[in-house]
Amino acid sequence: MSDYDDVWLVIPAYNEGTVIADVVENARKVFPNIVVVDDGSTDNSSEHIMTTGAHLVRHPVNLGQGAALQTGLAYALKQPGAQYFATFDADGQHQTPDVEKMVALLRADEADVILGSRFIEQTGEVPWIKRVVLRTAATLSPTARKLNLTDSHNGLRVLNRTAAAKVRITMNGMAHASELVAFLASSGLRVAEVPVDILYTEYSRSKGQSLINGVNILFDISLRERARK
Amino acid sequence: MKYIWIQLLLLAGTGILVLMFVRRWDAAHTRAWKRMAFAAFVVANVYAVFRPQDVNWVANQLGVGRGADLVLYLLVVAMAFMTLNTFMRFRSLEAKLTDLARAIAVNDGQRANAERLGEVEGRPAAESEKVGQ
Repeated sequence: MSDYDDVWLVIPAYNEGTVIADVVENARKVFPNIVVVDDGSTDNSSEHIMTTGAHLVRHPVNLGQGAALQTGLAYALKQPGAQYFATFDADGQHQTPDVEKMVALLRADEADVILGSRFIEQTGEVPWIKRVVLRTAATLSPTARKLNLTDSHNGLRVLNRTAAAKVRITMNGMAHASELVAFLASSGLRVAEVPVDILYTEYSRSKGQSLINGVNILFDISLRERARK
Repeated sequence: MKYIWIQLLLLAGTGILVLMFVRRWDAAHTRAWKRMAFAAFVVANVYAVFRPQDVNWVANQLGVGRGADLVLYLLVVAMAFMTLNTFMRFRSLEAKLTDLARAIAVNDGQRANAERLGEVEGRPAAESEKVGQ
């Protein structure tokens, strides 16, 4: 068995049929335990996932990425022996060596949560417009500042069991990234950031969030902040 | 400077709206208020139909020129309340739908994955475990 039997990769997937099987098989070379949450895809994502060795959890209806992550975490937490939980993108932009690095830090008990950042070291290339927007988001967010984060919207995160059991993502859509950061800031968990490489392939570019969606995220967040009290 | 009254009234309406939005309300409590507001609406409605000139009088007392204008102003406030109410209702429904879908997904997934992968990975089917969080 592998060194990573206690690690679970949580991959939310929505209409990723063309790439999901490759991404999963690739990740499974290192991480045997993977749960893919098919967020009510209308394509053949599920069939593709079933050809792999990953666990498949299907939302009966499309709920959004935040909901899919929470479902994946809930599922993984139930699996015997699960200690570390990584959220991983379905489009192949994340790399397993980064996850290994992050898990190693958690094993050394350096933190409870490790977030990937595209900006600590400029390793890969991030399209400049994306860089400006993401940096602005990180700087504007009071909670991201509190934790000294450079990148509040990175999909690659690794949580230990304590943290994963505490997380409750309620923003079903894309605002969950900021929600998670806000949660971490107030949770008292130890949060650290490490540089990760993001592969901006043609596919991930076409699937990635459009920047205009940032407006939606800001709106969702501001509503939540007010409605939370 | 009689408009001060209508101004105060409308601002109060907006203020309550904001308050409702900011504070997490107790459902039973607000439901009672909503019902009272509805009852008041019905009474005012019937009264206004029979004695429209009184609406004019009330409007004048509040500093509004015509009864119709007063009704319009109140309509705007009522409309805002309705919108907010619907929005909150949708949000709570969405949360319930999510919990429901998640429970189904995890439950079904556990069974299906145990069947599909369980034997291969030597992982026992965790059917006795309770779903929910």
